[in-house]
Amino acid sequence: MRATSYEGPYRIAVKDKPDPRIEHPQDAILRVTCAGICGSDLHLLHGRVPDTRIGSTFGHEIVGVVEEVGPEVTAVSRGDRLVVPFNISCGACYFCSRGLTACCENTNPSSDVACGVYGYSHTTGGYDGGQAEYVRVPFADVDPMKLPDGLSDLQAVPLADAYPTGYQGAEMCGLEGGETVVVFGAGPVGLYAMRSAWLLGAGRVIAVDKVGYRLDFARRWAGAEAIDFEDADVITAIKDLTDGRGADATIEAVGCEAAGSPMQRAIGVYVKGVAGSATALNWCFHATKKGGTVSVLGVFGPPMALVDFGTAMNKCQTIRTGQCSVKRYLPQLLEHVQAGRMPVEELITHRYPLEEASRAYHTFAQKEDGCVKAVLLPGTGTVH
Amino acid sequence: MEELTPSNPQHPLAGERARQPIPGAGIDLDPARRPGVPRLHAPRPLPNAHGPPTRQESQVTVFMHGRPHKDFPPVFGTAVPPSGLSGLLRRAAYRYPDHWMRHWTVLLFADRVDAWEHRLRRSLPVVLPALLVIGAGAAWKALSRRAAWAG
Ligand SMILES: [Zn+2]
Ligand SMILES: [Zn+2]
Repeated sequence: MRATSYEGPYRIAVKDKPDPRIEHPQDAILRVTCAGICGSDLHLLHGRVPDTRIGSTFGHEIVGVVEEVGPEVTAVSRGDRLVVPFNISCGACYFCSRGLTACCENTNPSSDVACGVYGYSHTTGGYDGGQAEYVRVPFADVDPMKLPDGLSDLQAVPLADAYPTGYQGAEMCGLEGGETVVVFGAGPVGLYAMRSAWLLGAGRVIAVDKVGYRLDFARRWAGAEAIDFEDADVITAIKDLTDGRGADATIEAVGCEAAGSPMQRAIGVYVKGVAGSATALNWCFHATKKGGTVSVLGVFGPPMALVDFGTAMNKCQTIRTGQCSVKRYLPQLLEHVQAGRMPVEELITHRYPLEEASRAYHTFAQKEDGCVKAVLLPGTGTVH
Repeated sequence: MEELTPSNPQHPLAGERARQPIPGAGIDLDPARRPGVPRLHAPRPLPNAHGPPTRQESQVTVFMHGRPHKDFPPVFGTAVPPSGLSGLLRRAAYRYPDHWMRHWTVLLFADRVDAWEHRLRRSLPVVLPALLVIGAGAAWKALSRRAAWAG
């Protein structure tokens, strides 16, 4: 089959690889019809995630059709269309049975910090990703959700990661109605978080980024006020908008390659002396009022980053974080999509055939051509 | 079409729909409508889950980080087995548990070595013949010089 292949920092190719096979009785093989490129894939591409091996297949946002099932799979069968959560979870261990499928104990030998994830380095279990023609899906009748008729691939693929992750970010703010929520990062996850904050009762949503077209998108699509942090001192601007106190809650939707501080960029991004730049996270502490909540969605790898913890501690803030346990969110978020409250597909500005993966990554990473979110469509020759 | 009014009449946006650009604002205000609340619920396996899972069989080398008293998880990925110098470094890194700094720093170093090895392998088809030509040229020169001196 054809599949993406990591060729070293900043290089991705599409190569011939062996077809995946059933390796466990609860596996299925999926023929991928749509695979998202996630912002966190860029951390992998840039060589930031430990144990990302040359030749890895990326991709953890997967929609596809069941091609083959293992002997213990009972609930899905050949021909079913599925959306696959990015977490690989057994559904029955201590954490899965309590709702934290993102913390499954049965799918990752490599580390205790995360469960198995598709195409996200050997630190998350060494699974091949879905930016390929076919992918092995463990626990095929536990994790994925069958797609209802009428739901398109483009409506389904954000359900694998970006939309539930953004929703969880807003949910973790613990809103009680009318609060001001600031979202750092107007990428796909940030935009889904902004719109989810409204659904969860926010009274005001403020977006922070430096990419003009994305701030416009946040204004238009997510009803947000927008601050360009290159135009103004962002913390002063937020305090000015919030009676001098700061926001009730902030959402960090940027992660370990944040811009905004030359020192953090130098140590964390260029020298790779620590696990990335924590600028957006540090801004969250300063932009949140005393006693407020900081909700962190951005990906930070081990071992550590330069985090201004003293500010959070002295300001009596609550910090909430977590990989999203996608499975528990799927029914409700599907309801929002079907009801038209969350037109998720409107963020997908770019579609590419699998063979053009390198161009897709480049356009997405460089924020060219007004790109908000890009997806690959394996099995498609040309896409317009 | 869906109901646009917030589900809670106490919500400050209730009745102010005109000002509100996002349809459905406030609809998930009730914590009972929030899928992640509470974060840990009473234990109940997911539908169709039948754990503990059967143990996966594999011939591929898969490392487990060196935490004592931990069983090898029953299910794992088999992508990209370790190889070369980077493989040896990774094997060394996984001897340590993941709460040890050196586990991660050795892994990150192995990633850089992996990239160099890959670059070297890719350049061999070009570099090797070039080295042979240069070597042969030098040897011929040396031989012909020795022949001239001897003559
Ligand atoms: Zn992701
Ligand atoms: Zn589990």
